[in-house]
Amino acid sequence: MAYEITLLTTMAISILFALSLNFISGFCGQISLGHAAFLGTGAYASAMLTKSSIPFLLTLPVAAIIAGFFGFLIGLASLRVRHDFLAITTMGVGFLFVGIVRKQDFLGGELGLAGIPSPDMSRESFMVFCIILAVIFAIFSLYIRRSWMGFVFESIADNEDVTRILGIDASRFKLAAFVIGTAVAGIAGALYAHHFRYIGPDSFGFVQSVSVLAMVIVGGVGSVWGVAFAAAVLSILPLLVQFIDDYKLLFYSGLLFAMMRFAPDGVAGIVQRLYGYVRRKS
Amino acid sequence: MMMSTSAPTPVLQVEPVLQVEPVLQVENVTVRFGGDTAVKNVSLTINQGELVGFIGPNGAGKTTLMRVITGIVKPQEGRVLLEGKDLAKSTINERVSAGMALAQQIVQPLHALSMLDNVALACGGAKTASVINAMFHTNREQERDKARDLLERVGLGEVVDALPATLPLGYLKRLEVARAMALEPKLLLLDEPLAGLNQAEAKGLADLILTLNKGGQTVLLIEHNLREVLRICPTLYVQDNGLPLAFGDADTVMKNPEVRSAYLGGQA
Amino acid sequence: MLYLELFIQGIVQGSIYGLIALGLTLVYGLLRILHVAHAALFTLGGYIGVIVTNTTGSFSLAIVVAMVAVGLVGMAVYKLAYEPLLHRPPYIALIASIALFIASEEIFRIVFGPFGLSYIDPPLQGQIELFAGFRLKYGEILVMGIAIVMLSALAWLSAKTRTGIAWRATVTDPEMAAAFGINIQNVRYLNFFIASALAAVAGVLVALLNNLVEPTMGSVPSYKALAIIVLGGLGSIRGTLVASLALGVIEAFGTIYVGHLLDRDALAFAFLILILMVRPQGLLGAK
Repeated sequence: MAYEITLLTTMAISILFALSLNFISGFCGQISLGHAAFLGTGAYASAMLTKSSIPFLLTLPVAAIIAGFFGFLIGLASLRVRHDFLAITTMGVGFLFVGIVRKQDFLGGELGLAGIPSPDMSRESFMVFCIILAVIFAIFSLYIRRSWMGFVFESIADNEDVTRILGIDASRFKLAAFVIGTAVAGIAGALYAHHFRYIGPDSFGFVQSVSVLAMVIVGGVGSVWGVAFAAAVLSILPLLVQFIDDYKLLFYSGLLFAMMRFAPDGVAGIVQRLYGYVRRKS
Repeated sequence: MMMSTSAPTPVLQVEPVLQVEPVLQVENVTVRFGGDTAVKNVSLTINQGELVGFIGPNGAGKTTLMRVITGIVKPQEGRVLLEGKDLAKSTINERVSAGMALAQQIVQPLHALSMLDNVALACGGAKTASVINAMFHTNREQERDKARDLLERVGLGEVVDALPATLPLGYLKRLEVARAMALEPKLLLLDEPLAGLNQAEAKGLADLILTLNKGGQTVLLIEHNLREVLRICPTLYVQDNGLPLAFGDADTVMKNPEVRSAYLGGQA
Repeated sequence: MLYLELFIQGIVQGSIYGLIALGLTLVYGLLRILHVAHAALFTLGGYIGVIVTNTTGSFSLAIVVAMVAVGLVGMAVYKLAYEPLLHRPPYIALIASIALFIASEEIFRIVFGPFGLSYIDPPLQGQIELFAGFRLKYGEILVMGIAIVMLSALAWLSAKTRTGIAWRATVTDPEMAAAFGINIQNVRYLNFFIASALAAVAGVLVALLNNLVEPTMGSVPSYKALAIIVLGGLGSIRGTLVASLALGVIEAFGTIYVGHLLDRDALAFAFLILILMVRPQGLLGAK
């Protein structure tokens, strides 16, 4: 039973994290190659606080605010640089985060933070708590997509210049996407830290940023259901197939490459095409 | 609560023009690119309710002046005023919010959205003016109704649900115009809306522009199609090689020998 | 004296960055693809260099074999991975490239083992004393020399030969070039061949300086070369070279003076972000 609980908790946290990137990259079209830095910001902030005996639940808003604040700064950067330049800038932010954390003794440096206290609740309750947060954010995402905010996001993702010609202040909407997406990543980070009880700089490096982007793309950019599904499967796959441990990363990267090469619109795109095919047949 | 779809849309409202007020003022604008002067000391005033045709041979600097008005190009000298307000520090979306709307020469539909939603988004200015507002509103019906009316007016009533990528250029040119109209601008800037249309389509769209103007809409129309411009525009502005050549009543302008020589291949 | 040593170190490192980043710039200039997997070709070059040197005993033969073999692999990467993705949004190719890169690192690890290979009898290990107390390794001189030769050859090729002119025309305006009868497909193959061959040389040289090739030797260059080409203004060859040398020197000094705050990689990206915020189009990029 304990194994299933760990599995489901990991899954829920990954879904929350992947949906937070989907908000920025999927909805608003702002590619980010450094999203793990915000997971890390939330994780470190929350872990430092609970280690100084502050109740876990109180640290969640703090993690969200700190991560959201850094997200706001990256949002400002996204107003200066676009497309490929933005992708590389966000990648740089990821490296900067890891590089800075490595050198800070009070954050545990290279060794990271061990002995993070448990989140004052049973493992079952913590699992349920993570699932509830993931579900709430999934519902919020679905709502936003229907709202005028989602309407504007879609337009920005499509063509930012045209959005401006329609009199819409695209900058503010981009900032909003970055702040919401990174704040939620911060919350996911707080959950992550108290789930694994150990964090280090390498938990939030480039590979993690690519992995979460892979979840968004494999799921189907912008599709809440697709991304949640991809995050669920990709997060627990390594736990389920431990016998291929040595080839894990090769399997992953091979899958990602094959997805890009043959089905770049992801699971959501495949489902849509299958649906269209079945409908034409019947 | 009376929700009638046949309610007149604001763009249709006829406002009697009582006094002449400048909507757009371009004052002594000069633009240089490197060593070349693209626009040289141009001044231009468009008053409330006017329909001004802006013509000139290729390379006259028409597009550059349009870009100065919309804020894409910053002039080295001079300024642009909308209803008396200096726009020097305004970004393009601020200019649009302040009351100008642009139908671009090169069509740029939002490909992910239907024709209807392309226009509906432009109709939703009240909801997209603030991020918070946009977050708390989901209902698009009102805007879609308005968008449907606008698309019908430009002759696109049959394709409201189509995706732009599936439609020919002539349709997308009209989409540009409908989207600009949806912003209910004080000044409608049309950059070659007739280019690429066949004769019948061009005449139809020109008629629509004329109707809009009769309804009180102020329009600046950049256009190569002289035949249609001369048919609908009472006032003309001619520019050549970045220099203002003539401005005024269409008949007088077209009799101007400099204008004739610019168009007939100058013997200067 | 310390300053001069740091400076020379920076230039050596910068020359290697230059050889790698130049290939990325060539690919970006032609196809607008951020070719992360380029660094895998750099690693492959290193492996081929060491293996050929160890089996034949000839280091110069190793360089030639590495260049040709990796050049051909680069052409295959274009054909199999990128060409089908050209009409997709650019991030698709970027992610595909990252995936390809990670997969290659894994393949190197599985095929050649996790601990890497070394030269059995490493060539050019001596050093020369230029003046009192100031020494340079032969390897370092070779790096700078090869960088200068390669870049000059490339400059000559692109300015003076028919192929080079066709290539530049295609970069400037592909449609126009096609209208003039230039075979764009051939230009792309050539482009990937040259870019990959340059990466291979860099790989062989790094293997020489460290006397080690390992599966992950491409990680740092892959991301850093991206930073460099963005810094240089994406697609600008001169910008890339300036950025490579600048970054090499800044890192050399930075690790000494601010190394306690930031590690070497973070330093590079801090510099990148700083520059981009001031000049969003990069150092020498056109607006």
